[in-house]
Amino acid sequence: MTTPLTTSSTLATTADGTGDDGTRGAWLLVAQREIVTRAMNKAFAIGLVVSLVVIAALAAFFTWQSSRVDTYAVAVAGTDATAVASVTAAAELAATEDAGTEIDLLEVTDDDAARAALSGGEADVWLHPGDDGWVLVGEREPDGVVSRLLGTAVEQQVLAANAEAAGTTVAELSAGAELTTEALDPEAMGDQALFFASFALAFLFFAGAITSGSMIASSVVEEKQSRLVEIIATAVPLRQLLAGKIIGSSVIAVGQNLLFAGVGLAAVAASPISIALPALSTSLIWFVVFFAVGFLALAALYAVAGALASRAEDLQYTSTPMTMLVMGVYFLTFTASGSFLTVLSYVPVANVVAMPVRVLSGDASWWEPVLSLAGLAAFAVLALLVSERAFRGALMQTGGRISWKQALRSER
Amino acid sequence: MTTLEVHDLTRTFGDRRAVDAVSFRAPGGLLTGFVGSNGAGKTTTMRMMMGVLAITSGEVRFGGRPVTRADRRSFGYMPEERGLYPKQPALDQLVYLARLRGIPTADARRETLEHLDRLGLADRAKDHVEKLSLGNQQRVQITAALMGRPRALILDEPFSGLDPAAVDGMVDLLREHTARGVPVLFSSHQLDLVERLCERLVILRSGRVVADGTPTELQEAGTLRHRLVLDSDAGWVRGVPGVHAVDVDGPTALLELADDATAQRLLATALERGQVRELSPVRPSLAQIYREVTA
Repeated sequence: MTTPLTTSSTLATTADGTGDDGTRGAWLLVAQREIVTRAMNKAFAIGLVVSLVVIAALAAFFTWQSSRVDTYAVAVAGTDATAVASVTAAAELAATEDAGTEIDLLEVTDDDAARAALSGGEADVWLHPGDDGWVLVGEREPDGVVSRLLGTAVEQQVLAANAEAAGTTVAELSAGAELTTEALDPEAMGDQALFFASFALAFLFFAGAITSGSMIASSVVEEKQSRLVEIIATAVPLRQLLAGKIIGSSVIAVGQNLLFAGVGLAAVAASPISIALPALSTSLIWFVVFFAVGFLALAALYAVAGALASRAEDLQYTSTPMTMLVMGVYFLTFTASGSFLTVLSYVPVANVVAMPVRVLSGDASWWEPVLSLAGLAAFAVLALLVSERAFRGALMQTGGRISWKQALRSER
Repeated sequence: MTTLEVHDLTRTFGDRRAVDAVSFRAPGGLLTGFVGSNGAGKTTTMRMMMGVLAITSGEVRFGGRPVTRADRRSFGYMPEERGLYPKQPALDQLVYLARLRGIPTADARRETLEHLDRLGLADRAKDHVEKLSLGNQQRVQITAALMGRPRALILDEPFSGLDPAAVDGMVDLLREHTARGVPVLFSSHQLDLVERLCERLVILRSGRVVADGTPTELQEAGTLRHRLVLDSDAGWVRGVPGVHAVDVDGPTALLELADDATAQRLLATALERGQVRELSPVRPSLAQIYREVTA
């Protein structure tokens, strides 16, 4: 250690009177570091990849499920014209329904040949007239869809024959008896799909808020415990440090949810419920916007949890209120319905999930999410202001856990 | 040469005065040692000087005027019980800390690499800090304080945990900064080290300055003692008026003498009784002064 230092840069030395002492952009440096260290974190990267693989696997499963075609060979004795006509009609019906079932006709010479085909595996079912009506025989109970299709076809054939015998037609007989279904809002989702979607949104909120929230808390306490924060505090205002941490972790949290939402939408687009895509997209866009604003508030509160702790071990105590809040929102929003859900959709933080769910169910007017978002933004501003004070009050205090009250009263 | 001074600096925590009207100077170009027992208020004082802790009353001055935020941003600081980002390479975090202080990225990188090279850590620059030995982590920490030609250095226990060779290396580095006229204030528990290194010394006890000056000034202000060596038992000196025998061990005695006349009288008496091998003033060691002022 004897070579003299040859080059050195010089630190900023004077304030130029404009109020900018060169620390204004510091939040950007802090945010960059938060994002880079998080992205380089192995646990985070592995968790993200695993989540994406799970979502993609679900998508692949749905796609496979929807494109799968089961072919059934129906054996009939070739001499029975009604049976042959019924199977042909059922095959046409299956083709128009496009429900993943295909029916093939397998003509055999007689009943014995049909039984042999059934037990030999060439035929899946055997259709033949019985003593009173028709019989569908399978090795086991025949498939429901095939039974229904063949039943309908046989019924039509027999009805047509009976009608002709009575000197009338099927159309005349069944005039005025047809039941059709109509939906007032064809894009509204079914109850089951809605529950599933609200559960998914609540879970996205929960996972994103808890993981990114605790990461900002531990990143704050890491700097506090190592006293790096004292070096940082002499270099830049603490407000800049807080802003950088909140923005950095928000970018990660929102980016992660965007990624999940994108893959989820792709999964839905490829699945049989792709008809719900427009409603889901609108709801997900609202969710991401609400989440971005709501997470700002949560990130600020979690940063205070980090500042209140003195060691990493204290975090589980100091972050308990935030964790309760996030878990409360999670459980309430995916179980709520009716007017309770409407109330929740205006309560800050709970509305991050509740309002997008109402948008999805088609129950919210266009102005409702806007109003609710404004409320959430106001809450976020309040949370940021209070947190900023508590953060500055607690960060430089060492020795044990600090309470919110002490932090807010302290002037360092 | 810019001087760093504190005037009547006071900090209370509730009813307790951790730092009580502390005033001293750390002149530019000199190493000033800051000593005192645990809880004497050294760290609290240094944190107030850096603006990390709010000042209850009093003031910190730099170059003859109240210290500003921009001044402090140009100071190098090592907090006590410090650490680093364990899972980040040394190079990355030094560049980050330097950039926060306004040093452009390219300069920060070049300077970091130079420092690490001098400290023999060039090949470890990309290792996570947690993989470095404690001594090497300490070297990275001092580098963080020395980046960007700081205008003053405030170092809390910079040598704790370092072996003597590492201490010498670090002192060489600090001397380069005092050579540019920068004031360096550092706290330490190692009195021998402080005595060997420092041009100035401030001793703190229960939040108050009890001694402040150059080591020579402090030694002169301390109680002067004399050593008397005879060729026979020296026990009789206890009875001489104006002589306080601190310690008598056979023919050797450590004495505090009331004045110069007492010394002359003592010498005459001793010569009457036999041979005098030695009568010499004893400069008090810093450890002795420290014990006196903090007792």
